[in-house]
Amino acid sequence: MRDLRLSLNQTQKVRLEAALEELQELSSSAASAIVTVAETIPVNHEDGVLKGHGTTELNGEVVATLCGVVERVNKLVYVRALRARYKPEVGDIIVGRVVEIAPKRWRIEINFSQDAILMLSAMNLPDGIQRRRTAVDELNMRSIFGENDVVSAEVRGLQHDGSLQLQARSQKYGKLERGQLITVSPYLVKRRKQHFHHLEQYGIDLVLGCNGFIWVGEHVEAQENAMTEDQESETEENKKPNKKSMTLEEQERTYTPFQTRQNICRIANAVRVLSALGFCLTVEVIIDTAEASASLNIDIKDMLGAEFYVLTAEREVQRRKSIKKGG
Amino acid sequence: MAPPGSLQTLLSPAELSFLHSSLSLQPPIRPDLRKSTQFRPLTAETDILPTTNGSARICYNDGTEAIVGVKAELEKTATQGRAKVDAETMDDVEEGNEHAGFQRRVTKAANSWLETSVEVPGFRDDDSLPIFLGALITEALLSSGTLQDKLWINERWHWKLYIDVLLLSPPLSYPLPLLSLTTHMALLSTSLPRLISEPSDDPLFDDDWAAAVPLYAKDAHGEYTARPPATLLVMTVGTNILFDPSKDELAVAESVIAVSFIPRSDRAASSVDDAMKIVAVRMVDPPSRLTPPGIPDAVNPATLSASAPAPQSSVNQEALSSAVKGSVWNPPRGGMKRSLLAQIVKMVTQSGGVGEEVLEGLAGVET
Repeated sequence: MRDLRLSLNQTQKVRLEAALEELQELSSSAASAIVTVAETIPVNHEDGVLKGHGTTELNGEVVATLCGVVERVNKLVYVRALRARYKPEVGDIIVGRVVEIAPKRWRIEINFSQDAILMLSAMNLPDGIQRRRTAVDELNMRSIFGENDVVSAEVRGLQHDGSLQLQARSQKYGKLERGQLITVSPYLVKRRKQHFHHLEQYGIDLVLGCNGFIWVGEHVEAQENAMTEDQESETEENKKPNKKSMTLEEQERTYTPFQTRQNICRIANAVRVLSALGFCLTVEVIIDTAEASASLNIDIKDMLGAEFYVLTAEREVQRRKSIKKGG
Repeated sequence: MAPPGSLQTLLSPAELSFLHSSLSLQPPIRPDLRKSTQFRPLTAETDILPTTNGSARICYNDGTEAIVGVKAELEKTATQGRAKVDAETMDDVEEGNEHAGFQRRVTKAANSWLETSVEVPGFRDDDSLPIFLGALITEALLSSGTLQDKLWINERWHWKLYIDVLLLSPPLSYPLPLLSLTTHMALLSTSLPRLISEPSDDPLFDDDWAAAVPLYAKDAHGEYTARPPATLLVMTVGTNILFDPSKDELAVAESVIAVSFIPRSDRAASSVDDAMKIVAVRMVDPPSRLTPPGIPDAVNPATLSASAPAPQSSVNQEALSSAVKGSVWNPPRGGMKRSLLAQIVKMVTQSGGVGEEVLEGLAGVET
């Protein structure tokens, strides 16, 4: 509860504590492989143990050197630290912020121990044509992604020197605009099949980056459709004067309805509340929290108030209980 | 002015433009959907440092936290051959309601009796940010004009007040209001040892800390008769006025202003129905000045081919560029309009306004 600093009144305090205690009871029965520093990890020495990250040997026993969860893969025992920086795995969907443009590559901050690298050759060009990257493309890199732009991409692999390569070989990846970026601890985002979510009832896109960067923004239609439409109507368009269609497009590009803006903030606040309480961020829980706030008639501005934190904690208890009963 | 380098927010032009357009709507949509005069929730406590005369700690929900310690030290006043104050006047002064005695004190108190130091992690003490923040806080304290007088003991002795402001977290947002409010709370909790010697003698103090005299006394109803100043940060976007801007909001601010105020002491007597009095105002250079401008699609080579086939005539081109200019982010230029400034001052000072609300809120968390 490091991040949680709330001004709770007495009853709220009691309720929150009760909820958190109940959560602890629920989870402790499931898996109790959480260790703190200097805690002994029980192992079967006869099998021969490979000590991995976050462990060391002390007086013939395997001892944790990190706070986290014990993971076992065959003989290997290691501790996966919570509250650490993001640890990338190949295929992860991440959201990052461009920090630097270097020759043929962008450096992207993703809360990894070093900046990730997105090569110009590892991404689709905006015109969607597969071809060799020319010197002109290289000069135009800044117009694709500039410094500070928020981009989504996929982890391609780790180089031998420990640097991280990204790729963005699909139109769904790319620059994210018109929305909010929220950063949470990476362990709160679990790897799932889907990380791009279109919440239709709110008209927004939610990108849960595995690195704990969460994007909440207005829904953007996939580019690929737009592309084909463009090509079809291109001949038509060329005949017309461009000015009108252009400005309309620009207006559309910049205009986000009032309601959508509010929805973005509502979802963002839901993410903030959940992450402050240390609950896993899945799209279901986020929507559930947002809907709860709407159905309880809580103003979005009050979502960060103490009462809603307590309510969210209590709802989480209910949810986990029902899951347990069902399972 | 304020050094923006370290406080630079990293937001892309697209985000800036989105945020700016959200904030310029009527009513503005702030990223966490606060009302324009709503403050971020904070927790506060006082008297946390046992060896200081007064101390306070405030932390925001986002984790920014500040501690202020106030330490008083007895100091000899540099004498300039002034006439000795007779005992009669002194008694009046002790009661604190004699106007003549009050006037006397004002002339004797010196600004150097107050020393403020601000420490911000990651900054040297001669960096411009801590110095600027320190100057702003000291300026407000001194210009309220009442604090120095409280430090006066007699002709030859006075208290010297050291205010140490310590920001514990990296400055996530512009930390001025946090530091100022913490200083405010610390000063409210400050007590000075009780004087037991004759007023004109060399001072001798009561050992009993429980008998110490609070620097800011409460009246019979438990209300403070006077309060130290508080400083608020106010930003404007278009015609919208936003109080307590967060870091992201500051990144699109068109202008930022620091307003210091104290409660009006002569409220009953005066005809104006203002609850607060402005003691200091400073324009702050907003970090938005240094944000990168966006590139309109029409002139962006990456998107040019996709979104806009080359225009046929140069007239068209010009019309295009002017039309799209407003659609992308451009760093704001220029200052604050007079009418906006007047509106801000009014919002802060009027009775039931933001200033009163803040001081009431702080009184509520004093525990």
